[in-house]
Amino acid sequence: MTPGTQMNPLLQVDQLRTYFHTREGVVRAVNDVSFTLNSGERMAVVGESGSGKSAMAMSLLQLLSYPGSVESGRVLLEGRDLLGMKEEELNHVRGGEIGTVFQDPMTSLDPIMSIGDQLVSHMIRHLRLNPRQARERAAQLLTQVGIPDSEARLRSYPYELSGGMRQRVLIAMALSCKPKLILADEPTTALDVTIQAQIVELLKDISTETGMALLFITHDLGLVARFAQKVAVMYAGRIVEYGSVYDLFERPQHPYTQSLLRTIPSIKGPRPKRLMQIGGFPPDMRQPIEGCAFADRCLAAVPQCRLEAPELEVKHGRQQAACLVDGGIEAVIGQTMPLHREGAEPLPQDELRVETRPVLELQQLTRHFKTDASLFKREGRTVRAVDEIELSLDPGQTLGLVGESGCGKSTTARMLLRLDTPTAGEIVVEGVDIAKLKGEALKSFRRKVQMVFQDPYSSFNPKMKIRDIIMEPLQVMDIGTREDRELKVQDLIRTVGLDTVYLDRYPSQLSGGQRQRIGIARALALDPSIIIADEPTSALDVSVRAQVINLLADLRERLGISILFISHDLSIVRHISDKIAVMYLGKIVEYGSADAIFEDPKHPYTQALLYAAPVPDPVAEEKRTIRLIGGDLPSPSNPPPGCHFSTRCPMVTDRCKQDQPVLEQMADTRKVACFHAS
Amino acid sequence: MADYAWRKLLQLIPTVIGVVTLVFLAMRMIPGNATGFMAGDNLSGDALAAMTERLGLGIPMWQQYVNYVTGLLRFDLGTTIVTGLPVSQLILEALPITVMVAVLTVLISCVIAVTIGTIAAYLANKGKKWFDQLITWLTMLVDLMPSFWMALLLMLTFTLTLGWFPASGTINFSDPGQMLQRIALPLMVLCAGQIAMIARITRTAVLEVLGEDYIRTARAFGLPQLRVVFRHALKNAAMPVITVAGLAFGNLLNGTIITEFIFSIPGIGTLLINGINSRDYTLVQSVILVYAFLFILVNMLTDFIYKYIDPRVRL
Repeated sequence: MTPGTQMNPLLQVDQLRTYFHTREGVVRAVNDVSFTLNSGERMAVVGESGSGKSAMAMSLLQLLSYPGSVESGRVLLEGRDLLGMKEEELNHVRGGEIGTVFQDPMTSLDPIMSIGDQLVSHMIRHLRLNPRQARERAAQLLTQVGIPDSEARLRSYPYELSGGMRQRVLIAMALSCKPKLILADEPTTALDVTIQAQIVELLKDISTETGMALLFITHDLGLVARFAQKVAVMYAGRIVEYGSVYDLFERPQHPYTQSLLRTIPSIKGPRPKRLMQIGGFPPDMRQPIEGCAFADRCLAAVPQCRLEAPELEVKHGRQQAACLVDGGIEAVIGQTMPLHREGAEPLPQDELRVETRPVLELQQLTRHFKTDASLFKREGRTVRAVDEIELSLDPGQTLGLVGESGCGKSTTARMLLRLDTPTAGEIVVEGVDIAKLKGEALKSFRRKVQMVFQDPYSSFNPKMKIRDIIMEPLQVMDIGTREDRELKVQDLIRTVGLDTVYLDRYPSQLSGGQRQRIGIARALALDPSIIIADEPTSALDVSVRAQVINLLADLRERLGISILFISHDLSIVRHISDKIAVMYLGKIVEYGSADAIFEDPKHPYTQALLYAAPVPDPVAEEKRTIRLIGGDLPSPSNPPPGCHFSTRCPMVTDRCKQDQPVLEQMADTRKVACFHAS
Repeated sequence: MADYAWRKLLQLIPTVIGVVTLVFLAMRMIPGNATGFMAGDNLSGDALAAMTERLGLGIPMWQQYVNYVTGLLRFDLGTTIVTGLPVSQLILEALPITVMVAVLTVLISCVIAVTIGTIAAYLANKGKKWFDQLITWLTMLVDLMPSFWMALLLMLTFTLTLGWFPASGTINFSDPGQMLQRIALPLMVLCAGQIAMIARITRTAVLEVLGEDYIRTARAFGLPQLRVVFRHALKNAAMPVITVAGLAFGNLLNGTIITEFIFSIPGIGTLLINGINSRDYTLVQSVILVYAFLFILVNMLTDFIYKYIDPRVRL
């Protein structure tokens, strides 16, 4: 690189403003966003949904969908303004100079075109290669991004590849035309943690090797710490904090960043009773915002905050934040409430509750599916979705169930709810085996176990009022008179911390966090003894996750409910669980107290999960040697012989490939299924 | 693929048996019979009975059924009751005309409908709703118009006033120009209904695909918009369009019956109507059997097109 170009940044975004002109009004998605990115630099843009981060990214490429439009500003790529460019010139920049990796690898590739054809066409256009050269380069690229047998893979269709593989294909596509900048919009959000770790390492390596700059858009602060050198935090369409990754994590200046970092539970150290939470919900971007958008949720807000929208200004060294109060919440935190984790008392230890009968016991619980055998095919295969698992849950406790998608977590949940009938084994709830219940007995059992669903956006009938949604279980079970039910519903909505005025609204009028509270209220309607929470926070904004977790923890304490908490987010699982079970391909591989497992994981798979989980601390991330496990989850219909994890395990020996280890007692509170655990 | 074709053919057997039986019974449930139609008011008593006997209608119904089915097994469709002509010959003469009209209708309407549907979707995706609204409004209007009424309107305009297209006369395959002129009006009537439906489906399908992530991916790699539409959007939107076009072909077979009759085109539709009017059981049974075969054939064809377009489809 010549000294002349060193002077100019690769990408300079200046006062970018993007609006969506909808019928309901103007959504000011991006407001005066400015930043610069140099060659070879890795920058992260962090924000929750609606913060304008994706709209900003699409504005750079001029690919906003209707009714979005860039109102003003400049986007300079090596000094050329992309905003004034003609479509033909832009089409040269798109793909040729800026490669893009999108969020969902499942939907980002054309499903009916082969991988090869999709890769090759862009190279023919941008690099002016002939088809044969392009195919050769495509095969090389697939090898480079870690796809084995690349020649054959070129002929595959997307549906024949796993999510992780597809994301590798998309990365290969982004690299294919030798761009100067790669734009990655939540590239790992749809993937499992172990695959996420692989993809992040891949992107990091690529930028180091090729000198490409990377703009990484995410909502996950842990990933930022692992990945980025520079960070911009967005809230309600503005950059509220901007600086180097070390500064940002060490001394965050904006109250939003400061609070967000505090809401994330740690995977090390003592556990507080409650997480710090940010009150309220992100602003509705359809409404005009007066003053600072974060003011309503900010602990440090002063009256001036509601009148005047602060600009980004230098706070510390080169670190910038948009806040009127110097020091943000740090300035006021001592006087208001003990927010630090250190201040909170640790959870009571398990040992204190002895001799209680478990509220739930699973014995040899098994669910096998048979794939269809047809006239012209040989007999179907057996998928061992859940294979002889044994768990127990004590009253008022939380059991965390962890594992990658396809490991059998959700099948287990379905069986506990008796939405699915086990192939074999027992489900003992309060001393009664409910595995084979039928008719009236089954109906009355359903009161005991209730569910909180993952996606609060799709788990309600949109045509029903909140009142009717919460009341429905009471009606189904024919409990009480109309008046009784009404009182109960009012009681329930207050229990989950919402006002009774919401009872007359429809789900679409509520935010995600409010809806998940309604989901919890509905689950509580029948006074269950067990609640199954299947990824209850994964569809929520980062800033409201802690609210929902705290609510669940409070309810457990107040009502004595037991919770089965299913999640892939290890830090949240650790925070809320007393015991943890790690599942892999239908089997439990490690089972024990949450603290013990996180402190000293015994099974190589648990270790891998912990290594893969990013920690919101760039210093720790840098020190950590990340031992990745390679490959994808094997198909449950055709698991490897011997130990199911043997194909990905770093400690594998010949014995692992032949014999299957059983879950054995290791210590007082721990069971592990591994020959090498000690 | 071959495996699939065999399976389909096996499935055909119960379908054919069902159709044959149903038609056989239905025809005999309509009041009146062939003898009555031929004799009018002139015959009665013994003479009528003798005629019934001669036409083969004197034997019990189950016997008639057995005779008919055994005939079919020998690929013998029999002779018409009324005129005594071989049914297979009548069908072979009429079928090419109907098939030609139907195939032309499907081709022409697909080309026009997919074009305007795609344009409507493309513009709607960019927020230009006026063309989209115009198309939706127009197609609705055409769809609501009864086809016989439109046929009369067209005849009034193009035959009686302008004198461009004849509304009756023979159809001669050796003179394509004259033939096209002859079938122009029925084609217009049949196409109008199909275009309206297929255009609406295309619009919806393409609009949906244009919102998909892989379209954004293609655009983010610099593929010009029009090529995105042709390379990615149309092919992905093809499935519902083909489904509807396949179903439309079935409706079309119904449509040809009325339209052929109005424009007096000697296709199997006209043959069927004549057969029903004269209660000519063997003729009607055979014509409906032909319809059933055509329908199943089209179904198979659409399945093969699915497989060709989308590698995920398993036959």
